[in-house]
Amino acid sequence: MTQHRAEDRSGESREEQVLAIRTQALSKRYGEVVALASLDLQVARGEVYGYLGPNGAGKTTTLRLLLGLHRPSSGSAALFGLDCWRDPLAAHRRVAYVAGEPALWPSLTAEETLDFLARLHGGSDAAYTRELVRRFQLDGSRRLRAMSKGNRQKVSLIAALATRAELLLLDEPTSGLDPLMEVAFRECIKEAQDRGQTVFLSSHILSEVEALCDRVGILRAGRLVDEGSLQELRHLSAQIVEVTFAGASPALGPLPGVHAQSAGPHAMRYEVSGAIGPLIAALAAHPVTALSSREPSLEEIFLHHYDGSKES
Amino acid sequence: MSLAGRALARRAWRDARVRVVAFGYLFLIYAYVQPVGYRHAYPSLADRAAFARSFGGNTAIRLFYGQPHDLLSIGGYCAWRVSGTLTIAAAAFGLLASVRALRTEEDAGRAELVLAGALGRTAAYRSSLAAIGAGIAVLWVAELAGSLAGGLALGDSAYMALATVSVAFVCAGIGALACQLAPTRRVALDIGGAAVGLLFVLRVVADTAGGAGWLRWATPLGWAEELRPFAGARPLVLVLPVLAGVLLLGLAWRIALRRDIGTGLLRERDSAPARPGLLSSPTRQALRGERSSLAVWLVSVGAFAFILGTISSSVSAVGVSKKIQQEIARLGVGSILTPVGYLSFVFLFFVLAISLFACAQLSAARREEAEGRLETLLALPATRGAWLGGRLLLAGAAAVILSLAAGLFAWVGAASQGQSIALSRMLEAGANCLPAALLFLALAALAFALLPRAASGIAYTLVVLAFLWQLVGSLLGAPRWLVDLTPFQHIGLVPAQALRTGSAVVMLGIAALAAACALAVFRRRDILGQ
Repeated sequence: MTQHRAEDRSGESREEQVLAIRTQALSKRYGEVVALASLDLQVARGEVYGYLGPNGAGKTTTLRLLLGLHRPSSGSAALFGLDCWRDPLAAHRRVAYVAGEPALWPSLTAEETLDFLARLHGGSDAAYTRELVRRFQLDGSRRLRAMSKGNRQKVSLIAALATRAELLLLDEPTSGLDPLMEVAFRECIKEAQDRGQTVFLSSHILSEVEALCDRVGILRAGRLVDEGSLQELRHLSAQIVEVTFAGASPALGPLPGVHAQSAGPHAMRYEVSGAIGPLIAALAAHPVTALSSREPSLEEIFLHHYDGSKES
Repeated sequence: MSLAGRALARRAWRDARVRVVAFGYLFLIYAYVQPVGYRHAYPSLADRAAFARSFGGNTAIRLFYGQPHDLLSIGGYCAWRVSGTLTIAAAAFGLLASVRALRTEEDAGRAELVLAGALGRTAAYRSSLAAIGAGIAVLWVAELAGSLAGGLALGDSAYMALATVSVAFVCAGIGALACQLAPTRRVALDIGGAAVGLLFVLRVVADTAGGAGWLRWATPLGWAEELRPFAGARPLVLVLPVLAGVLLLGLAWRIALRRDIGTGLLRERDSAPARPGLLSSPTRQALRGERSSLAVWLVSVGAFAFILGTISSSVSAVGVSKKIQQEIARLGVGSILTPVGYLSFVFLFFVLAISLFACAQLSAARREEAEGRLETLLALPATRGAWLGGRLLLAGAAAVILSLAAGLFAWVGAASQGQSIALSRMLEAGANCLPAALLFLALAALAFALLPRAASGIAYTLVVLAFLWQLVGSLLGAPRWLVDLTPFQHIGLVPAQALRTGSAVVMLGIAALAAACALAVFRRRDILGQ
């Protein structure tokens, strides 16, 4: 690893110190289909980055490009300043990957698989592997052939976590896990973050991303449509104010930046973008029995981006 | 058949159509070429009589084409040549088609989906059988059309084609039963392949060893001979394949009704203590995965070579006139009237077998990619070049072992009968298989790099076409350069002749070039799923 660092040009070495992932105008076409259009992505070291998008948005394509499994149609991708296509091997020594659909060897047992993958990675933490096997309640003597999808997913996850790689690339890693294992997974990711590992979590499970990620990118039809910390994304979106009245809900008349919706016979739901003052002032004249204000959930932000998704 | 049943049958048919069409072309062309070639090579009755005297009794020829019943008529000749080869192809087709329709879907988990729907097990089984039956019907039509185009009579041609596909029917039954016994598709193919191989060996022994003719009744390949198209047809014999096929398919159906989906009657253990051997690199792990299949190949090649070695001692030129010996020499099959000449001739079939082995190895590599495991490997610090290079080295090394084993065991067989052939010459005969086999391996690798999804089909087709072209190309009077295109034309008949070093070097050179191109192209392409 250090050799590679020494070989890098000086311009890249600073970037390498800060950024774990960087893509520049990264695009991929499969024949006529544009899977990814001019993606510019920067993930800093130590960051947990949530990569959101519905099925077919281009999440797996991004990961395949980052791993050098597919070749960019144009643009470039780099891990730790190392080009993903030209220099995959050096990058892979510092990366561990969990595929959405775990493709492992049916005739090997779980233990043999972990052993094999650890050796190919150039070693892993044996004590940590044992601990993970215990935490994820994995039966090491079972052949992969006889395992359910969730259990195969656990093997793949344990193999990746046990390498203690600097960067974890996870493609919908919990799609087959039960709620208990989902909890174990979240703990492991938090521990990885505490150790300073970078995590790139591709997912469409919003609660998971909300719980784990520092920053979120939202992908739609091959394009990054929004990006930022949850805080930033919320600021850009509407705030939700839910109000219950003593009598029938009054009509407040038009207010700038406020979208009203009935939420029952005595309740209203207001989506406020911008200042909240005018709404409060208007409400003051009415018999309000309860008022709650909250920031939009990630789900609401996400759905907001997909409301008009048919247009592209 | 219900609507759902018909939909499923159509689905199974679509899965199989590429193979059906490929085999269909083989049947069509082969059935057409034989009558045309016979007329071309033996225009007069005198020619035919001389041919019949020389070839009819020759052990080497009978080994592959079976026992001839009438070599003086075009029909009789075709029945011998066409049926002899195409029944073997039909056997392979029956087995592959039934394992594909009855087990591959199940291993992929799609059978569960089907059975969770409005379709019962019997209906699903019947739909799969309908698709297999349609494939067999296509082969029947293809052989019939080829024979008709070659100028043979309609009724007799139809009967001859029926004799050929009767083997496919029985072998489909064998495959169906293997699918119920085996825990996985792969084991089903192994079991079925071993059974079909045994039936072939039975026919070989029946047709070549003195006093063993009765064994012909123990194998569907022998029944096809005993149906005797164009030579005093005996249609009653058809009862045997029909009965055997129905029994096998019925038995398989009974088991299919009771068995847990995704398992077989033979259970594999689902848990095992870890064995850390052969896990330190992708290539070693590939060896670990392939070793049972390698062992099957080694045992088959060794056993077959041993049998051929044993038979070789019974070959002799006693009673064959000088003139006919010259005739045989002119046909380009060497001096097959001596044990050494005979072994030289049959070793051409080991070239074929080991080339097909190379194709199978490349198919296994492609499956690794198609099923996503290559992605798992390449996301680790493993390079594409090391992976593909390792697979090629593994296949090449296995081909070397198989070739030398063929030579060794043929020598053991011959020596056991008191033949005095030098071991070194027989090992050389084995090594003589390698240049062509490695060439086909490298070409298969190139196909894999360029067109991964079609690679398996291309590789197998290339080998089979090259082999058939060598058999029939010169018979048809094709121009020399066209005949010379097939690598099989450039293989010396070792041990009767010397190893053709020049040709071997050229083939190995092309192989090295193709392999280098394959590696270069593979480095630059996307890793593709199914």
